[in-house]
Amino acid sequence: MKIAEGIEIVDLALYLEKEKALVMADFHIGMEESMIEDGIFIPKFQFPILCKKVENLLKKKRPKIVIINGDLKHEFGTISQQEWKEVLKILEIIQNNVEKVLLVKGNHDTILGPIAEKRNIEIVDYCLIGENLILHGHKEFKIKENYKRLIIAHEHPAVSLREGSKTEVFKCFLKGKYKGRELIVMPSFNFVTVGSDIMKEEILSPYLKKDLEDFYVYVVDQGKVYEFGKLKNLYYQKNLIM
Amino acid sequence: MITYKKQPNTEEEIFRILHPIVKEWFVKKFGGFCLTQLYGVMEIHSRNNVLISATTGSGKTLTAFLAILNELIDSSEKEILENKIYCVYVSPLKSLNNDIYFNLVKPLEEMEKIAGKKFGIRIAVRTGDTSQSERAKMLKRAPHILITTPETLAIILSSIKFREHLKNVEWCIIDEIHALADNKRGVHLSLSLERLNHLSNYITRIGLSATCEPLEEIAKFLVGIGRSCKIVKVEIPKNMDFAVLTPVKNLVETNFVLMHNSFYKLLDQLIQSHKTTLIFTNTRSATERVVHYLKEKFPKIYSENIGAHHGSLSKELRLNLEKRMREGKLKAIVCSTSLELGIDIGYIDLVVQLGSPKSVARAVQRQGRAGHRLNDVIKGRIIVLDRDDLVECAVLQKDAVERKIDRIHIPQNCLDVLAQHIVGMAIDQVWEEKELFNLIRKSYCYRNLDIEDFNNVLSYLAGEHISLEDRHVYAKIWRKDGKIGRRGKLNRVIYMTNIGTIPDETLVKVKLNGQTIGTIDEAFLERLRRGDIFLLGGQTYKFLYSRGMVAHVSSSVDRPPTVPSWFSEMLPLNFDLAKDIGKFRRLVEEKLKLGKKKNEIVSFIKDYLHLKDSTALAIYDYINEQYSYCREIPSDKKIVIEHTQDENGEKVVVFHTLFGRRVNDCLSRAVAYAIGKTQHRDVELGINDNGFYITLNKNVDVVKAFKLLNSENLRKVMELAIEKSEILKRRFRHCAARSFMILRYYKGRKKRVGRQQLSSMLLLNAVKRISDDFPILKEARREVLEDVMDVENAKNILKGIEDGSIKVKEIFTKIPSPFALNLVMQGRADLMRIEERTDFLKRMHNYILAKIGLKK
Repeated sequence: MKIAEGIEIVDLALYLEKEKALVMADFHIGMEESMIEDGIFIPKFQFPILCKKVENLLKKKRPKIVIINGDLKHEFGTISQQEWKEVLKILEIIQNNVEKVLLVKGNHDTILGPIAEKRNIEIVDYCLIGENLILHGHKEFKIKENYKRLIIAHEHPAVSLREGSKTEVFKCFLKGKYKGRELIVMPSFNFVTVGSDIMKEEILSPYLKKDLEDFYVYVVDQGKVYEFGKLKNLYYQKNLIM
Repeated sequence: MITYKKQPNTEEEIFRILHPIVKEWFVKKFGGFCLTQLYGVMEIHSRNNVLISATTGSGKTLTAFLAILNELIDSSEKEILENKIYCVYVSPLKSLNNDIYFNLVKPLEEMEKIAGKKFGIRIAVRTGDTSQSERAKMLKRAPHILITTPETLAIILSSIKFREHLKNVEWCIIDEIHALADNKRGVHLSLSLERLNHLSNYITRIGLSATCEPLEEIAKFLVGIGRSCKIVKVEIPKNMDFAVLTPVKNLVETNFVLMHNSFYKLLDQLIQSHKTTLIFTNTRSATERVVHYLKEKFPKIYSENIGAHHGSLSKELRLNLEKRMREGKLKAIVCSTSLELGIDIGYIDLVVQLGSPKSVARAVQRQGRAGHRLNDVIKGRIIVLDRDDLVECAVLQKDAVERKIDRIHIPQNCLDVLAQHIVGMAIDQVWEEKELFNLIRKSYCYRNLDIEDFNNVLSYLAGEHISLEDRHVYAKIWRKDGKIGRRGKLNRVIYMTNIGTIPDETLVKVKLNGQTIGTIDEAFLERLRRGDIFLLGGQTYKFLYSRGMVAHVSSSVDRPPTVPSWFSEMLPLNFDLAKDIGKFRRLVEEKLKLGKKKNEIVSFIKDYLHLKDSTALAIYDYINEQYSYCREIPSDKKIVIEHTQDENGEKVVVFHTLFGRRVNDCLSRAVAYAIGKTQHRDVELGINDNGFYITLNKNVDVVKAFKLLNSENLRKVMELAIEKSEILKRRFRHCAARSFMILRYYKGRKKRVGRQQLSSMLLLNAVKRISDDFPILKEARREVLEDVMDVENAKNILKGIEDGSIKVKEIFTKIPSPFALNLVMQGRADLMRIEERTDFLKRMHNYILAKIGLKK
């Protein structure tokens, strides 16, 4: 489904048609290890699913360039052997299929340097591709170049649908405005958590502090996209049912 | 052997065993023994296990401690008092512990005065609040009587040094045992008692309970399997003055506003004509509402002199309220269940219950809070707002007066609690698996524990579900050659800091400008969205956002709450009481069928239920209306299935099954599942204590679906039916926490990640990937089916239908019958989740699209 001119939602990623670029964000590799550190002893399952999803997308779209929009890895601090292995593996899968890989720096990516160097991958604070400025979204940058649209991640947006006593939370893309420019927010490409329910949880990104209710919601489930209109529509729904 | 003690001892017999100082003190202070003491003291002195069931204020506590204090003083006089714990006293409430402490220290001081010297008897309270230095002091010089909670007991059992003091405990007192036996805290305690027993040679167990049933089972719960226990049941005839009240004469034709105003007028009148009134509501949110409206309607009368008391208040607010309560500064206290247990709350001359307390035992316990002294009159009023409640409370009152106490349910084979204790036991020593199994099966709650379940728990704890290379991270125990033991040093800390059964994550802190003002239920938070208004502490707050397990709010706005009370708080009607109501209905129907005259039946109702004329008449009118309308009165021996339609003309099938919500939860979901399976869509249903309904927009043979169910297949059907339910997801998370799969404290800090981030569903799926029968998942299913719902009694109802003792009648009505009205109007609406997540999304999508379309 098209979310903007020349931009398509493909599962949890964005595809920029003209530039043949596939954008994914917030893999958070090593999140399960980190959860164990936090006392949640869930058997690990994420990595094989992640690899498969990425492979499928690459096969389907055959992009020339892949941009990982921040937080490839979960932890801020040290990296375990397992995580090191997994990061290298997923980069290998991507590099085997495309010409160029770009890593946009996220707030969790402070120690990706050595890995990127080893793989000869460029790390940037943001990147301009076509009319799109792609950046993680945890902090604002002064940008000199011209651009029409911002694409951020970081927020892990999700919305909750409610009917009677039933509530389900779904990952979603958001589209709205930031200082007059179009702004797209990507969901996390991660399967351990759904993300952050923007209808109730604290909003983290400085780009989303205003007029969130007027953002358009695109729910993604099992690879399919469902357009829900403005976020405030989902709030209204409560009054109708109760 | 469990036996009732039929004859009390004589005063002389008891005086003979008392040390002269104790005797002198006792005579000076009390003159003679009360009945509870005549029954109980000698048994405790003779080291017999005993369960004492008596009303509040009947001298239970002193009964339990008299023989023990006597023995300690005797030992002190003979200078053979050892440095060990003689008696462990366990109560479910920390606040009760401090009361008990002072009630023991004072008599000891008085006796020391008589003796003219110190006895050197040490008494100490140990709970989660006890400081490091106090604990160190206890370690050096063991308290002779240790006052504690179930959780702290489980901790000290695994404390390397302190457990030395537990090696020769002689008595263990479990206070308010009725409040523990019906939940997992009690199950947890029952294993702690077995562990204590394993440490000490022989312990006399003493259980203290309010009026409750079934006493034989509770006695077995107290002592475990293969041990004897004497039951002392003391009924002290107190002067009782009970009544069921309605705010208006005609409960049917009164509009909401009038009803609302009359209700608060009546409540105000009751409060004003008494000195101090204790008001019970059934939910936390109702507690808030009542205080809120009393203040709003009578601003000159109520301000600082009333207060809401419930478990979600912050500690400071609660303690302040309790202090003002004891000082007699409050005219009325409104609470949910928090003041049911025996902490001292000062002088109360009236207990008002708003709506049905849903169980006879609870009603008696609550009403017992009035007139705390032996000869005081117990004055209780129940205010009801609809006719179902009226009938229910009238029967409840009859049972209360006749002391026909309904039974509690004791959970069995809880695998999560078991897992927790095994971690603790592995810390203490290396165990032969067989020996461990045998010890666990001594607990009443695990007497039927399956060896396979036991093995699965051990397998989970040993991390056998994880690949070998990662196992060391997950495993809590090692398991080899039929033995188990502690794995790694970390697990001792994990056990100590994560112990307990009360799901910690259910409480979400509410913060206003950074300051905690109380807590709300996690399930309640799930319903909140930005901008919602809700009540807490009698004030309204606006929900801003949540961060992990903290909800941030802004202060009150002049708008009514947008989020209604959370229905999971609702107390279910006790099954025994439900059957008694059914029986009453049946008796009235028999008389109607025989064509008896109105005044004859009214007078029967009056006598049978010990009622006033007007109330009996209202009840007659209600049942007679139903009878005139459709000639069938649903009862304990008759289920009526009513085909009708709601106000929108939608087809509704009402099942009049008066068996309580826990049973109806099962029956309704099983029927809905059977229908949904063929329709591939969620089925809307409503449930209350009197029955359930199913809404249909298609022609479906509901009765056929109902007939597909039988006592053999019900459990299997229910296991499938709850698979996608919210309740299973939530309970699974609680079970995972109890079995240490999710920890509250780990590596010296409280968990960082808001657990909210981690959806229950993903958790559940992760476990299902391992095995559909993973012990924690199995336990979550059991908890939902047996503890939250009541699959056993639901099965019994189906059995009744199969053997013909319960008849099923079908009726067809144009508008819902009088009995169906409440249910269709107010019954909790729920959805049977047959629908896949994706189908739900699609449907909601269409729904929103249609709405946006309309808006344009």
